[in-house]
Amino acid sequence: MPSSLAAIAHAKLPAASYSSVHQLAQAVNTPLVKALRHPWVHSIVRLDAVEVALTALHPLLSLTDVRARVVSIVEETTTTKTFLLQPNALWAGAQAGQFVRVQLEMNGRRVERAYSLSSRPGARRIAFTVKRQDQGLVSSHLHKAIKVGDVLTISQALGEFTLPAMLPGKILLLSAGSGITPVMSMLRDLKARDYQGDVVFVHVCRALDDLIFAAQLKALADDFAGMRLVLHYDASTGAFTPSVLAQQVPDLAERSSWMCGPAGFMDAISSYWDAQGLASPLFSERFVGAPVLPSTAPGTPVQVAFVKSGTTFTTHGTAPLLVQAERAGLSPKHGCRIGICRSCQCVKTSGTVENLQTGEVSSAPNELIRLCISTARSDVALAL
Amino acid sequence: MSFAKPTTLSRAQVAEFEREVNVIRESVMNKLGQADVDHIRSMIRISRASEIGGRALLHFGLGPLSWVAGVMALASAKILDNMEIGHNVMHGQYDWTGDPALNSQTFEWDIACDGEQWRHSHNVTHHTYTNILGKDRDLGYSLLRMTDEQKWKPRHWFQPLANLMLAMGFQYGVGSHDLEIGRYKHGAMPKAEFKARLDRFLTKVGKVWFKDYLLFPALALWSAPRVLAGNFCANLIRNLWTYLIIFCGHFTEGVAIYREEDTRNETRGDWYIRQLSGSSNLTGGRLFHIMSGHLSHQIEHHLFPDMPAHRYPEVAPQIEALCRKFGLFYNTGSLFKQYLTVMKRILTYTLPPKRVPV
Repeated sequence: MPSSLAAIAHAKLPAASYSSVHQLAQAVNTPLVKALRHPWVHSIVRLDAVEVALTALHPLLSLTDVRARVVSIVEETTTTKTFLLQPNALWAGAQAGQFVRVQLEMNGRRVERAYSLSSRPGARRIAFTVKRQDQGLVSSHLHKAIKVGDVLTISQALGEFTLPAMLPGKILLLSAGSGITPVMSMLRDLKARDYQGDVVFVHVCRALDDLIFAAQLKALADDFAGMRLVLHYDASTGAFTPSVLAQQVPDLAERSSWMCGPAGFMDAISSYWDAQGLASPLFSERFVGAPVLPSTAPGTPVQVAFVKSGTTFTTHGTAPLLVQAERAGLSPKHGCRIGICRSCQCVKTSGTVENLQTGEVSSAPNELIRLCISTARSDVALAL
Repeated sequence: MSFAKPTTLSRAQVAEFEREVNVIRESVMNKLGQADVDHIRSMIRISRASEIGGRALLHFGLGPLSWVAGVMALASAKILDNMEIGHNVMHGQYDWTGDPALNSQTFEWDIACDGEQWRHSHNVTHHTYTNILGKDRDLGYSLLRMTDEQKWKPRHWFQPLANLMLAMGFQYGVGSHDLEIGRYKHGAMPKAEFKARLDRFLTKVGKVWFKDYLLFPALALWSAPRVLAGNFCANLIRNLWTYLIIFCGHFTEGVAIYREEDTRNETRGDWYIRQLSGSSNLTGGRLFHIMSGHLSHQIEHHLFPDMPAHRYPEVAPQIEALCRKFGLFYNTGSLFKQYLTVMKRILTYTLPPKRVPV
């Protein structure tokens, strides 16, 4: 096995992400939440009533949710902002490269978006960076309405796009546009762990004024001996292709690589890796939302998956999903069968459906639908 | 009282009526937002504060005035929880928010009725088969005879007493409604299923009794009798109020009752007309509407069961205008007037039908 791929055993391991405050909080609230959820206690005092009372007392207080106060907002570029947050004691820490789901209520409805953390594990504050999308509901709201002092509800850290505990001797961190966020976290983590190997940080963006973390990258490049920074500006040096990458990083076959960026960018790199038969592993983080399947004509046979029970069936004709499921031998819960009682209501995790009563066609993920009045207009997954 | 004819409108008119009702519905459903969720949360806050205040007054207060105030506060909390909050949330009126505390399928209310059982007997049975004799079990609640077409039995002589008992113990009437005791007695329900339903019902009764008649009195130590009496009276007031409002929804004069055969192959327009003709409204101010859970707008509720109820006063004038346009009866009146017609009906059908001389 080439020596460059040998793990650097003496690199410092990341600091424990479970602080003693967190452990104390967990020790107190786990039995409390369990007690409040017990059917007999629930009929006297509801957990959500306790949550409302706690939040009224202090916005960071919660028995079940991770809340984080915005302590600083940094304008990285004209379209990107970094939010630095102080989480409450329920925060269980994160590994470099993971993301959180930020939960907001917009116009009465709960919405959620995933953002990669750009802060390193063990940092005092956690940070995520948001690029304002033109049609973006949540990104626009985060940019315009969130101020320092506001409290956000976030999920625990999620994701498998992470660095291993035993670090390889040579690393490539490759990103484009706002894909820089998770690899930035990795880079900061490597520095904090006193990484003794060799890391190349390649980033692609349109021009210097679109470069997120410009100042921090320069500071890191000056400070971090094992790091080589490669910046590619499309506007000045043309499109970034896999051959450009090969030129800049000739020893790709020996570098364990992590990449994040737009789908097209990552697909090209992936294909190059396969075509060249490179031995080194290539890990990627998909940033885009669930693919929106194009809406098929009514009656086109599609696959419907009942995710929880693991069953799948194909539709025939234009009958509503409830009827289709029954024809396939399943018996989902139902009531009036005319769309008024909500007994057949369930979550459509992905896919496009048409509401037969209003004619509305919707592809939104994790949407509540009524099986008796919805027909599938693409492959559909249901949380049943 | 005879069965209502399906409708005197032509097919084209029914279709037009359907279109116009749908337009009214979409105009509201498309603009649901922060104001709606703020409203229900405000109702929940007021109900909880009222409950805490009421129980505290019963618990720590001395003398009759604080007892009365405590009972009124607790009764108000229970009424809000039952009607404006419970009934409306369990109809799915706030499912669109994605807030798990407002989810219709998991919400539980503070009455001796299991949420899941209520959702079945109310959302599925009552709202689908509204006022169809033999299918809508809310017509008399299997206890009272409300129309000549229901077979008279000697036990109906006791109808006024049964009515009083039902009113005072209304939460148990609602709670036991989904047991379908009649069906079980006639052998149409397997014993295992009946036992499962009975267990569910009794468990819920156990929970509310534990809370109001065991736990809180016990916590009050020497004030236990005061708290027990207060809780009992608060429950009684809630029972009487909910009975009053609910009975005025479908048992007033002029409400139409249907035969099953006349409702087969109903279009959505026919369904709208049956919902309209089978329901009646109550007039009043904003506070009255809130305390009735907006069931004072029974007509609008039956047309739009999953529309947040506080929107019903907004669409009521449009529905009323639509009824005028199509020559349909829009049944409304004061609580006093409407309930008087309900009492008249209960007393009338206590008596056996008059024998028609040959």
